Amino acid sequence: MKAWIEAMGCHLCAATPEGVPYVVLGRYAAVQGDGEVAFALAEDEVKVIEPVLAKNPRVAFGVSRQGGIRAAYQFKGTGEFLRSGLVFEVVSARAKEEKGIDTAAVLLVRLTELYCTKPGYEAGQRLDGMVPEELNAWERQRWKDVPRKRD
Amino acid sequence: MVKFTKEMKEALRVPGKGGSLIYLCTSSRDGNPNIAAMRFVATHMDDKILIADMFLLKTKANIKENPNVAVTICHPLDEGRWWVFRGKAVDIEYGFPRDFDWYGANATDILNEWGNWNKAEPPDEVPPDIVFPKAVQRGVVVVHVEEAYSIEPGHTGERVL
Repeated sequence: MKAWIEAMGCHLCAATPEGVPYVVLGRYAAVQGDGEVAFALAEDEVKVIEPVLAKNPRVAFGVSRQGGIRAAYQFKGTGEFLRSGLVFEVVSARAKEEKGIDTAAVLLVRLTELYCTKPGYEAGQRLDGMVPEELNAWERQRWKDVPRKRD
Repeated sequence: MVKFTKEMKEALRVPGKGGSLIYLCTSSRDGNPNIAAMRFVATHMDDKILIADMFLLKTKANIKENPNVAVTICHPLDEGRWWVFRGKAVDIEYGFPRDFDWYGANATDILNEWGNWNKAEPPDEVPPDIVFPKAVQRGVVVVHVEEAYSIEPGHTGERVL
């Protein structure tokens, strides 16, 4: 799960309080511990999603590229924009080095929900009720491949 | 009124025909976002995106209470397919009135052509370890696209339709 997020980046979805969805790419992602993901966003990406998150901090994201089918998960949480501090400094430096991104802000998403989105009988199954060991075993049983390098 | 480009129509097809895996983004009425990948996708007329309703749960519930959706390309991204299409969606299920109209799209026409999508465009390109064992289609989501913006790095947010 972590490897897919960090190798492929993610599609980030936010919505206005009235329910109008917006999407931007989180091209550089860094998992922070077990429950947070930091995305380095450029100025143009921030301009689209920051006004939405200012009114409604809820974020849903899925893994980009092949990860959309090979890493069939939906992650949900709340987002906060960082423009200074250790996480901002580390993530923006790595995003510049690895992806050439001029980071305007880091979107830190604190995860609260996790769902399986694999087509079939498990589609929509909520997974965050599992303890980490149980979830790891569940994942290993179903997914045999992980990306080998950043795209 | 929008009109898809040739490149957009080529991208908004099933992956096995050179199209794309897409993300369908919906929201509850009070702004709880949801994002789910979809394989069965096509265009209809010049401004409609069609998506099979096969395993939709939260997506379906959201569309029933809030028609605002966004559709974007999940994979492949590196062929100039940097678009987010925004518009209003309905899930035309079996049992809809035959003359139901969604911004010019007729329910009977949609279900006649796309109601048995797995047979028409079987998922032959999907690896056997992740292909679904049995496809049960309950309808077709019709997205009436009203605008589109770019998510190309450096151009995110720029209107393309």
